[in-house]
Amino acid sequence: MNRALRKVAVVGAAVTLVLAGCGRESGGEQEKATSVAEGKASGEVTVWAMGTEGEKLGAFAQDFMKENPDAKVTVTAVPWDAAHQKIASAIAAKQTPDVSMIGSTWQGEFAKTGALDPTPPELFQRDSYFPGAWDTTVVNDTSYGVPWYVETRVIYYRTDIAAKAGITKPPATWAELSAMAKAMQGAGAKWGINLQPGKTGSWQSVMPFAWSNGVEVSDGTKYTFDSPEMVEALRFYQSFFTGKLAPTELAEGALEPGFAKGEIAAFLSGPWMVDLIKKQGGAGFEDKFAVAPMPKQKSATSFIGGSNIAVFKDAKNRDAAWKFLQWLAQPAVQTRWYQTTSDLPAVRSAWQDPALAGDKFLKVFGEQLKDAKAPPTFATWEQVSAAFDTEVEKLAKSGEDPATVARTVQSKAEAIGTGS
Amino acid sequence: MRTQDRIAKISLYTILCAGLLVVVGPFLWMALASFKPEAEIRRVPPTWLPDTWTLENFRQLFTRLDFPQYFANSVLVAVLITAGNLLFCSLLGYALAKLNFPGRRALFLVVLGMLMVPGMVLFVPQFVLVSNLGLANSYAGLVLPFLAGPFGVFLMRQFLSTIPDDLIEAARVDGAGEWRIFFRIVLPLCRPALATLGILTFLSSWNNFLWPLVVATTEDKYTLPVALALYSVGQNRTDFGLLLAGAVVVVLPVLVVFLILQRHFLRGIATTGLK
Repeated sequence: MNRALRKVAVVGAAVTLVLAGCGRESGGEQEKATSVAEGKASGEVTVWAMGTEGEKLGAFAQDFMKENPDAKVTVTAVPWDAAHQKIASAIAAKQTPDVSMIGSTWQGEFAKTGALDPTPPELFQRDSYFPGAWDTTVVNDTSYGVPWYVETRVIYYRTDIAAKAGITKPPATWAELSAMAKAMQGAGAKWGINLQPGKTGSWQSVMPFAWSNGVEVSDGTKYTFDSPEMVEALRFYQSFFTGKLAPTELAEGALEPGFAKGEIAAFLSGPWMVDLIKKQGGAGFEDKFAVAPMPKQKSATSFIGGSNIAVFKDAKNRDAAWKFLQWLAQPAVQTRWYQTTSDLPAVRSAWQDPALAGDKFLKVFGEQLKDAKAPPTFATWEQVSAAFDTEVEKLAKSGEDPATVARTVQSKAEAIGTGS
Repeated sequence: MRTQDRIAKISLYTILCAGLLVVVGPFLWMALASFKPEAEIRRVPPTWLPDTWTLENFRQLFTRLDFPQYFANSVLVAVLITAGNLLFCSLLGYALAKLNFPGRRALFLVVLGMLMVPGMVLFVPQFVLVSNLGLANSYAGLVLPFLAGPFGVFLMRQFLSTIPDDLIEAARVDGAGEWRIFFRIVLPLCRPALATLGILTFLSSWNNFLWPLVVATTEDKYTLPVALALYSVGQNRTDFGLLLAGAVVVVLPVLVVFLILQRHFLRGIATTGLK
């Protein structure tokens, strides 16, 4: 029996090894984009888009088809949950569509597989986008795809609680942010502020503080997490938890009701929260809270996220695909897309539209986007950020020393490498 | 003596009820929550009975989603896969347990070896294979790779080896061919094992998310779990109302299958556990 078992294990291991050996070569050095033929688009363009975007894009693209009567855009909606897995598998099996929406932090990884088509420079101008957004498309000095919509993180706070605490203007510096959280807790809030205490994506809450303190997590060729500035930023982040100003444990979905009830007086989050909070708070709640840009240390930098949209090299209809992307990038179309989905335009001139410029909440996001950064587009960023999240959790929950956290993240990042 | 009995009985029932509460509680909350508006679902502390009853979540489920299409896809895929497993796994299990042929031991070892390969490792190669066969985005691509599995073969083989050889010998002496023996004598005896396999396969294929997500490249081939994730889980937020309403509807067919088969299912687990 023992021998038989051993044999089984050997067979199992052999199969696993053989399977693990299958892979695909990665893309090489800097690539040059080929140009796109002029004239109207024609033929079918297949597009994958996630969530709401996938749900709404099909009908939205009718206008494009009106302008290009010979073209047909077919949209498949993909769940956000597993879109990464779906695109990765499609690349491996060469079953990619012509166009796909790409989460901005996935860009490095997918560009590295060599499956994405470099952006034709004659169709898109870097300057027309928010710089942080454009940077997310650039891998090895080549841009793959273009930003579609953006989001950034700002401070939400209860103006009524702040007023009770004697605060009448949004926090402009780190010190003022701490003071405000403390004062609002004194004025009856259970928690002065909520900052994500670990779990997936918590790095997106930490990095705004790090960037504002002058941190660069990469020098272009390798990761550089371990710096005095980083330690300082982590210490500041931790101070909210050690000072009992921020909860170290908050159930998913508990933030909105907590904020509406005044138990949580402030938090750091993105534009999607505006609607959720308004809905949770009910009528009149709109006047009880406000959003404010990141407070300043050396700078007042936030995180820029959102999604890019890219064309695959294996696209059957490459020219029409790029023309469709070009259409999506027109300022008027970007504004209409905002009205359809509430996605914030990545193209700067679209923000002049009164629908965006006149909204008291959105205005703040528009300002913050001018100073917002994205992580490096290394192929391994998703892995490194997962390791980062784990350390953030230790920082917030078990009081891990910030210097140790910076060192651990750096050594984990070095072990993972940049993937190039 | 009688009071002691009663104490034993009462404590037994208390424990059972506590266990039931733990198991059924979340389920009940899910069902009730699907009738609550979004804000109430997120309320802390949570409520049991909805303050405001609403059918909005179900209305959304049936209007925003092409529900009949996804439901039909799910049923088709799950039924075909279950039928395939019942047939092929029992055939192979029978051969491995009762027939003598060269390489039988080696084949069994391969089956056991395959049991040890984690599914995620097979995922991408399997998808590459399916798309090279031109089956991406087809029902065949959704069903074919799962028609038989090492677990099912193993389960059936273990159960079949408990059936006395004499029975099969007797049938052979009476002049029955292998096919006749298999379908008339052996298979009817396997009912508990078949019920177990059927329920497990149906469940896993009904709940399967990743494979249909990747293989189906257009929405008309999506199954229920994929469609549900598509409409309720966003990049930064989740529509819990829709998700819970969907979950309630998704669970119903599984409950029905289980209720139909539960007698056999329990017996199946008991007998296979004995071996």
